[in-house]
Amino acid sequence: MSLKLSSTLNTSRRSFSPPLFFSNVKRTPISNIRIPRNRSVKSFTCVHERNPEPITTTSTKLQLLVSEFNSLTEPIDRVKRLLDYAAVLPGLDESGRVQAKKVAGCATQVWLEVVMDERGRMRFRADSDSEISKGFCSCLIMVLDGAEPEEVLGFKTEDLTEMNVGVGVSHVGIKAGASRVNTWQNVLLAMQKRTRCLVMKREGKVFAVLRGTIHVIMCPVSSTYKLLAADALLYMSF
Amino acid sequence: MEAVVPKLASFNLLNPKSKSKSAIRRFSSALCVSSSPSVTSTDSVSLGHITRPDFPILHQEVYGSKKLVYLDNAATSQKPIAVLKALQNYYEAYNSNVHRGIHFLSAKATDEYELARKKVAAFINASDSGEIVFTKNATEAINLVAYSWGLSNLKSGDENEDHLFVFLASGYKAYKDTGFWPKYISVILTVAEHHSAIVPWQLVAQKTGANLKFLNLNDDESPDLDKLKEMLSRKTKLVVIHHISNMLASILPIEEIVHWSHDVGAKVLVDACQSVPHMVVDVQGLDADFLVASSHKMCGPTGIGFLFGKSDLLSAMPPFLGGGEMISDVFLDHSTFADPPSRFEAGTPAIGEAIGLGAAIDYLSTIGMQKIHAYEMELAKYLYENLLSIPNIRIYGPKPSEHVQRAALCSFNVENIHPTDIATLLDQQYGVAIRSGHHCAQPLHRYLGVNASARASLHFYNTKEDVDEFIHALNETVSFFNVFK
Repeated sequence: MSLKLSSTLNTSRRSFSPPLFFSNVKRTPISNIRIPRNRSVKSFTCVHERNPEPITTTSTKLQLLVSEFNSLTEPIDRVKRLLDYAAVLPGLDESGRVQAKKVAGCATQVWLEVVMDERGRMRFRADSDSEISKGFCSCLIMVLDGAEPEEVLGFKTEDLTEMNVGVGVSHVGIKAGASRVNTWQNVLLAMQKRTRCLVMKREGKVFAVLRGTIHVIMCPVSSTYKLLAADALLYMSF
Repeated sequence: MEAVVPKLASFNLLNPKSKSKSAIRRFSSALCVSSSPSVTSTDSVSLGHITRPDFPILHQEVYGSKKLVYLDNAATSQKPIAVLKALQNYYEAYNSNVHRGIHFLSAKATDEYELARKKVAAFINASDSGEIVFTKNATEAINLVAYSWGLSNLKSGDENEDHLFVFLASGYKAYKDTGFWPKYISVILTVAEHHSAIVPWQLVAQKTGANLKFLNLNDDESPDLDKLKEMLSRKTKLVVIHHISNMLASILPIEEIVHWSHDVGAKVLVDACQSVPHMVVDVQGLDADFLVASSHKMCGPTGIGFLFGKSDLLSAMPPFLGGGEMISDVFLDHSTFADPPSRFEAGTPAIGEAIGLGAAIDYLSTIGMQKIHAYEMELAKYLYENLLSIPNIRIYGPKPSEHVQRAALCSFNVENIHPTDIATLLDQQYGVAIRSGHHCAQPLHRYLGVNASARASLHFYNTKEDVDEFIHALNETVSFFNVFK
């Protein structure tokens, strides 16, 4: 076992094709990512082609990501690919890595920033103290950054299990459960929860009450008031 | 039913003369056999090698082709065939509710359930099986003490008629010192406690106004017992302390701690989750007031743990949960309650699980807890020494020496690599299962200035080869991440 593994591990980090969605350390804007006519992964090159066809939907981006990871049969290669994605994630500076932005429930520390841009699309930034978690965040952001809020909210955690990598993600085809350490799921759920709040804020369905140091945000639902989850509310500046 | 109960865990029931030619019985034959460890005795083959055939789960490959190396025993242990068979036998042959029906199956189930209680009592040398309360797990056992004993004994004492008298007669300072005033009543815990031993007391302290005081670590990174002696006073009502730390691997001298605590009138609750599965624990020798442990960490099923409480304490405690089984008589406006342990076992208990726990205790007792402890000490040393060879590693807890023994687990961090990244690669690339995270000890991690750590924890069915494979895999993993940075 050790001989085989040694040889695998000694492979240099850039021994195979670069990540699908990022050609180099500098991040490629999503609008520049193109789908080639031939959808095979190997022939998929990412940027700056002439006469390109833009990737527009999250489902397409997800499909490509899933097939990219599924093409890597060795676990070590999938981990390497995640680390490649981690390397191109811009991350957050110290001021962004604060308790208020933490994603609850991850085995590692993950910080997530969620804003809605002027076009009403969701923009995400994230960082982690773990390289693998950072890779997860990078993949999620690659798929969901710039998406319509409805697309973010419609994204299923099960879709990620196909990628077959990482803590809490099943290796036998069973959908990943609500494991306490499932970074994929926790980051996605945080993205969705915070998106939902921002949508409600935009639509004026939420108002805030300041009581002492605690912000209580009330949201009218069916003529009653529903108290929203506190961590989601920290992202809404009133 | 006549109960045959091994009296103390340390008894080795094996016949030293009956040396088996083949130390390791074939797995297939072990399946057909019963309740004792596969092998008899041998000097040349380690206890790990001898007992591994009893644990079918260990003989598998994960992710298709990677041999499983299971080093997450502090989280939960694996179960020997004897325990699996006991569970199966219960459901196949005599599944029935206990303490109720008069029919054959119910009588048999009740006998076996109560026999399991006797086995637990004998295993930790309790003087009477009535001192053993079955709970869902150790967490529930601690909550039971917190809500039942804690709510009654950590409260203000308003109803105490001596209250005003003491104040008037002895003055403010003496009154404070009596500990009657809730503000001055305290519970001492260590920063190294498991969340399960901290949170219930926080909840109870909120209700009663008692103070929680936390004992820090000393320079050797084990709880500072000299400081504990200073902290103890007449105001201390309870000391909550672990026997073996699930992160630091430190082994505490509970007997002395109990002695100091009793000197000031404080009770002691021992979290023995990491000690009962690995060494001889004698509650009478320790003189502990309460002691909790968990079945699933000692080769038994999940869903059951136990509380040991001295009988006079249990008898004076009000019920925790209400329901069937725990009552004496129920009227519409009130009820009277059964004596312990039934008083604390509301509803149908985990019958099969209790019986499985009994089978696990038989299994461990047949090997002998002294033998298990001795072997694990050897493994602990081997693990620690080999782990030190990893570059830039930081192992938490006391350094082993002539006077300091560590349990067979190591929590560690490698500089600039997240422990979860290490654990992920060890798992996916090498089939080595270790834990990463805060191990339900966030205050301790905060105290040590880290957010998370990795932990490899062993049990008697692990071998030096397991450690070798782990160290090899860890070395490669560290190189991998360092190259990748």
